[in-house]
Amino acid sequence: MKEERFGLPTQGTVAPGDKRISEDIRDDVLLRQAAKGDEDAFTTLYRRHQAAIYRFALRMTGNAWASEEIVQDVFMTLMREPKKYDPERGALAAYLYGIARNRVMKHLERLPREVRLDDQNESAVHAVAGLTNVVTPMHWAERQERMEQVRAAVLDLPSEFREAVVLCELEELSYEEASQRIGCPIGTIRSRLHRGRALLLAKLEMLRDVPRRFSAAR
Amino acid sequence: MNCEQFEAIGLDVDRESASGIDINEHAAAIEHANTCARCAALQESWREARVELRALRDATSDVGAPLRVEMRLRQEFFARNRALKFRRFALASAWLLASAAMLLIGMNWWNWHIDNENLSLVGDKAPVKANPNDTASATNVTPNPAVAAVDNYPNEPANESTLIAANDAEDFTLLPGSMAQEIGDGSVVRVRMQRGALGDLGLPVNEERANEWIQVDLFVGQDGQPQAVRLPQAQ
Repeated sequence: MKEERFGLPTQGTVAPGDKRISEDIRDDVLLRQAAKGDEDAFTTLYRRHQAAIYRFALRMTGNAWASEEIVQDVFMTLMREPKKYDPERGALAAYLYGIARNRVMKHLERLPREVRLDDQNESAVHAVAGLTNVVTPMHWAERQERMEQVRAAVLDLPSEFREAVVLCELEELSYEEASQRIGCPIGTIRSRLHRGRALLLAKLEMLRDVPRRFSAAR
Repeated sequence: MNCEQFEAIGLDVDRESASGIDINEHAAAIEHANTCARCAALQESWREARVELRALRDATSDVGAPLRVEMRLRQEFFARNRALKFRRFALASAWLLASAAMLLIGMNWWNWHIDNENLSLVGDKAPVKANPNDTASATNVTPNPAVAAVDNYPNEPANESTLIAANDAEDFTLLPGSMAQEIGDGSVVRVRMQRGALGDLGLPVNEERANEWIQVDLFVGQDGQPQAVRLPQAQ
């Protein structure tokens, strides 16, 4: 088991004494087994999808606690109502992402925009602290600061632009994949991403005292 | 391509994943960046931002939900599953009990029904005890009302009023010249004959009704000769 870093465990953490289910089994088959009470099937499903959902939630909220709650909520929903998932309508990952997205949006609506999310004990900035290739403490500090600026700039974006930036720039999904996840046309994704990038650049340039080059008002 | 168009698609030039821009637009964007200093600076600025975004992505690429989330979920799953199993067991037990009760009720009803049917059958077929008071009239070969009914409708099927030969010596009228004897010494035979035939046995017969068919019980002695006669009672 990998060590947790600053309270954020790395992917693939396994509880001791767990049985392993073949990775080849399809999600819908596992879900059916889980619905019948197979705990191992449910655990396998959880381990298969939790990291992606957690990362998305973390990148959207910037709050490890909130992301944890969102992941828990998503899988509780799956546990309570497994029949709501229809394999014919799409992959389980997309279904779970849809639930996670709703939870994230609700979380963002609840929180006042002024609250600094990184004030929490286990904020995402600490999650990125485990950097490799750090030459000197000063270099580390500069890099940390830059990363923090980027993270703050991303978190400052309005939620729909932030989502487009997270999906297309951080998750590196294609426009088509992102549009499928969000459930909107590709044109909307392009437009949101364009606005998001413009705002992000404007914020970063403002933070670094660089003259603005992007017409963010478009 | 102008600056506005470049702002729309120019930043996708470096994208690795599909961005939807075609080769011509891609070439035009690069060409415009080479000629326009502002757009080139914008592109450069975005590249820097992108590097930082990637650093942020890489730093968070291997994070996952803490183990405690999995533990909580598994605990919840276990609890729910246990409750579900208990509920299923309770439901199955309830159904089983209800089925058993229904089966028991059904069996009882069936038994009751069968018993009732048997009782009514026995009641239908039970012979009517001969009324000792009718002996005198029988002796005079005067049919009692039930027998009269048979006499009046001799050709009717016997299912309306069943005639049953009682295996006793009551109501028998000794034929002329016969000696009184115990019933054990002979047997009772039910025969169907014309009323006129009674005359052959030495009994008085109404000539007007001599052709009517009647049933009579003959007490046949050991010698095979009829000793007594009786008109059976209708039920």
